[in-house]
Amino acid sequence: MFLQQLINGLVVGSIYSLFALGFTLVFGVLNILNLAHGAVFMVSAFVGLYVVSHLELPLIVAFLAAILAGGVLSVLVDFFAFRPLRKRGADEFGALVSSMGASLILISLAQQLSNAKILSFPFGTFPVVFFQLGSVRFSLLHITVILCMAGMVGLLFFYMYGTKFGRQVRAVAVSESTSVLLGIRPSAIYLQTFFIAGALAGGAGVIIGVAFNSVHFLMGEPMMLRAFLVVILGGMGSIGGAVVAGLIIGVLQVMTATYVSTELSDTVLFALLFIILLVRPTGFFRGLRREARVARK
Amino acid sequence: MIDFFITYRPVLDQILIVTGLAFSQYIALRAGVFSLAPAGFAALGAYTGAVLHMTYGWPVWLALICSALFGVFAGALLSIPLARLRGVFQAIATLAFVQIVVSLSLYAESITGGAVGINGIPAVIKTSHLLVFFVVVTIFTLIMNRYAVGRAFDAIRQEETVAVALGISVAKYQALSFAISGGVAGLSGGLLAFNTYSITPEQFGFPMLITAIAAVVLGGRVSVWGPIVGAFILTALPEIARPLAQQRLLVNGVILILIISYMPMGIVDTFRRYLAGRRQTSTAANTDVRRKT
Repeated sequence: MFLQQLINGLVVGSIYSLFALGFTLVFGVLNILNLAHGAVFMVSAFVGLYVVSHLELPLIVAFLAAILAGGVLSVLVDFFAFRPLRKRGADEFGALVSSMGASLILISLAQQLSNAKILSFPFGTFPVVFFQLGSVRFSLLHITVILCMAGMVGLLFFYMYGTKFGRQVRAVAVSESTSVLLGIRPSAIYLQTFFIAGALAGGAGVIIGVAFNSVHFLMGEPMMLRAFLVVILGGMGSIGGAVVAGLIIGVLQVMTATYVSTELSDTVLFALLFIILLVRPTGFFRGLRREARVARK
Repeated sequence: MIDFFITYRPVLDQILIVTGLAFSQYIALRAGVFSLAPAGFAALGAYTGAVLHMTYGWPVWLALICSALFGVFAGALLSIPLARLRGVFQAIATLAFVQIVVSLSLYAESITGGAVGINGIPAVIKTSHLLVFFVVVTIFTLIMNRYAVGRAFDAIRQEETVAVALGISVAKYQALSFAISGGVAGLSGGLLAFNTYSITPEQFGFPMLITAIAAVVLGGRVSVWGPIVGAFILTALPEIARPLAQQRLLVNGVILILIISYMPMGIVDTFRRYLAGRRQTSTAANTDVRRKT
């Protein structure tokens, strides 16, 4: 029982990590708290669903389409909601408000286009296969989710730490003005970071849509709240931190839901967030920034 | 005229309650606290008032006082962890607070009625009561801004280092602003409960949080008239232009992005700056006004 719940928690947790990776990346590198990330995730899930149910293409195509859609949408959000603010040199408050606006627009559009219905992927989109290992049962879906997460995290690691572009992104995270002096074009970095963040959210959208078998216009909201927790627990912009934090949150949530109460699992998670902010506001992992300015000077 | 009043009475009630929430948001932002908590305080206030009256049979006025006091208490308590955090992280923490309140009110079914909420609350709060509340809060804020407290808030918001150098205790004043913010929102929540027959947890989630912040962003964050104008436009616009009513969320989103990008000071403060610029064209006056925002 415990082992089974642990596996379920890890599966849920990998989805959280996948979603939160893009969020923490934008926050860590560009210092923008992008509240529209959940809406990008939701719209991509709809794109994936549309590709499968209307165009009747295989799931892998839907997955790639959602990744592309998420990336493009995220770049558009940056273009319309954040770029005017950057030009003006606005503060963090501006970006927060602007991303709230972008999120409202996307959610409202999705609500009308889907008639506020809860949709799901057609039956048999993903083969239902179970494996038995001792007392633990897990499905092909579980394995695929975890593999997907591992694959995408691997790609992201390679990109950030193995390529020239990644080095530039990390340089901007440490200091934008210094990296401009070194000949890095910030606009290119913003474009890349937003695209990657959106693409990760898009991938997570389809995976969640298949795993929980539901796609609806409010699905981004609970994910966003967990992403905050991932950022606080895992540190701003830390890839490893986001993965570990996501897994911890997933396991914690499943365990609370199993052994205490489903309704209380949210309360436990956010109480945890508060306690972490109180005890160790900088999180437990080193982020992309040299010093995470969380606490006051 | 009477017909007009009767038709638009619910809208007026709503405007007045939203103004209360906007004031709560305004007071926190004014002291430089990056708070998203008014929706959470409003939920606490609404449930406190409704439970005390419905379950324990307290008179409405006493229940409403408790709503406000509970808001003050929650605000003061919340300001302790917030004092250690900076900017965006205060926003995350207060967002978590709202979420905790909402999920607890869903969980504690025996007290709060769970997802169904509390129904059949007597609607004893009429427009006249709300108008009194509105006038009192406005005058209170005007007075606060005129005296040392308001000046201290301004100093903290504009430049914390300078404020500290002037001997202003940042933590103390932010705690004060948060307690006031909590009290105003708590009372608004209580009034909402006794104005609309029923309350449910999801009333107090993201939509209310965004309404409060949108009103202040739209109206302006410095002048007292900012939250009033913002709340009025935001609530009345969909009612006046009927086709917009169905696109309420969409319109709010577009307004938020446009205002914060192209008129970041909000309507009232932009207008006041324009007037001030016309009155005295000397550069000194201009920089003074600019620094105020």
